[in-house]
Amino acid sequence: MNDGEILIDGAQRSQTEVERAEGIDLNPHAQACLQRLLRVWLGFERDLSTVPLLRRIDLGTYTVEDHRCLLLNLRQQVIEGSRWITRAASSFDRNHAEIRSTIIAHAVDEHRDYELLERDYVASGGRVEDIQAMERNLGSEALHGYLMHRSSRPNPIDLLGAMWIIEGLGEKMARSWADQIQELTGLTEDSTRFMTYHAHNDGDHMLRFYAMLDEVCVNEERTRAIVKTAKVVARLYRLQLEEVEHGLE
Amino acid sequence: MSVYITSTGMFLPGPPIAVEEVEGILGAVNGKPSSLRVQIQKANKIQTRHYAIDANQQTTHSNTQMASAAATQCLDRAFVAREKVGLLAVATTQGDHPAPGMASMVQAELGLAELEILTTHGICSSSMMALKAAWNSLRLEEHEAALVVSSELASRLLKKQRYEAATGSTYAEKRIDFNTEFLRWMLSDGAGALMLQNKPAPKGLSLRIDWVRGFSHAHAFPTCMSVGSAGRVEDARTWQDYSTYAEAETAGALLLRQDVRLLDNILRMGVDGYLRLVQEGVSKPLEVDHFLCHYSSHHFRDKILDLLDAAGVGIPEERWWTNLYTRGNTGAASLFIMIDEFLRTDEVDIQEGQTVLCFVPESGRFNTAYMQLTVVKQ
Repeated sequence: MNDGEILIDGAQRSQTEVERAEGIDLNPHAQACLQRLLRVWLGFERDLSTVPLLRRIDLGTYTVEDHRCLLLNLRQQVIEGSRWITRAASSFDRNHAEIRSTIIAHAVDEHRDYELLERDYVASGGRVEDIQAMERNLGSEALHGYLMHRSSRPNPIDLLGAMWIIEGLGEKMARSWADQIQELTGLTEDSTRFMTYHAHNDGDHMLRFYAMLDEVCVNEERTRAIVKTAKVVARLYRLQLEEVEHGLE
Repeated sequence: MSVYITSTGMFLPGPPIAVEEVEGILGAVNGKPSSLRVQIQKANKIQTRHYAIDANQQTTHSNTQMASAAATQCLDRAFVAREKVGLLAVATTQGDHPAPGMASMVQAELGLAELEILTTHGICSSSMMALKAAWNSLRLEEHEAALVVSSELASRLLKKQRYEAATGSTYAEKRIDFNTEFLRWMLSDGAGALMLQNKPAPKGLSLRIDWVRGFSHAHAFPTCMSVGSAGRVEDARTWQDYSTYAEAETAGALLLRQDVRLLDNILRMGVDGYLRLVQEGVSKPLEVDHFLCHYSSHHFRDKILDLLDAAGVGIPEERWWTNLYTRGNTGAASLFIMIDEFLRTDEVDIQEGQTVLCFVPESGRFNTAYMQLTVVKQ
């Protein structure tokens, strides 16, 4: 018993978005892949609610300290993110020029996002030298190791699954975390710019994603590879978030 | 063994109440009109609804009486003798008595002798729990006919006196407490009933129950819609833990609450369950002729629906049907009230062989229930 419309403004579709969505015509393998990716995403999103730090957003007990802890741990992932994605671009041969262009463009968009994170951390009362000195947590190690391994393989089309999860999380941060964090902690938008920034190009990112999926997802084998990588990344990303409260010593 | 819905009934108490008359029935808390009413009503788009309380907040029909009235209509329309009904399953969020179960009271009111009874307790999806149990008991050939009733009397929880008495609650502390008022302008009263039999009705259309499935996600999410606690994260007490019921009421532990921040999860889990059924091959989107949903599509104007369309499994808007806007959101009773009117309305052309998909999301602690029906004719 509820009304999904209220207070979920971030999830509302604009007219342009509706029109765009109507023009999407994926091949049957890409459609089947998207169905499975959606379920991987929804399961990931649900399970994030069990991560102690994130559950405090749901419960309303999230604090400024929690926010600093989250940012501190996200920075390494963001830095490594730009590395695996450029590595992936270089692993595509000339038969995959289109997807390579898309990935390079994406990497250019986001490869300095960690600077936003640093500013958010300072705006939340943290010291820039602390965030810059932060090591990868145990989950970040696993996630980064896996992504570098996959992106070093020739034509790593399965990384579409990784992009699906990581882009989805960016959209979720903008849609449901940023405002709630501000409301719960009294922090201002200066502390959540990394989270909200992702929403700006969200529609374009989805269209690019659909185009890539339609191009590369042309058989069951590729569908399986993309979905499996999405599952692994979802699990390791959650591990990274579960590890934020565990010290490295 | 196939099982069919062979007769239906509904009961809506009193006259239809228009949007601007609602506060006149539920009452203005401490004499002050609500500052949230218009906003919430605008969002839920419900035009008329019914209440089993009058403008003095006196109960006009008990929950048992409403359930029995819907059941009586269903029995009167059925091609089966009352004596053949072997099981009475009754669903509600809150019966008239905390004990015994509501099915006992409804059985007594209906005068149905020596049959098996079942009361299911929950919120919206309790109707599907009762229906599934009845369906299974017929499949096991324990009974030839089962009567399933769902009834809600939410207005007793929503009348002004409840809020006025909660002087120590978050509602009293905050000038505007969205979570506590949200459902006040949403829910209303009514009852629906379905007759299940092991054969279709000899005349007219019956609905074969193809499958009923449910997926609950309580393990992952906090409680979203509830009665029984004060709505303060630091206070784990539930209503019976207070020294007196009066203390519980003062603290606001008897107010109905919805944590609106968590709400979009129910839509997402609804989509997840639907995709799961599609992937299992149980539900075939292209074969769904009618989609009866506890909500209308405008509530789901979410990007995730674009994704369903892109993935080729969206259900076109013209196949959605609901009577929520005229009958109100009656919680557990909604689906049965919807099925009853769906079979009688001129708005849709129902043909033999068509497939009807039903979906009941419950935000309480994120339960989602689905059912597929096929239209059959003897």
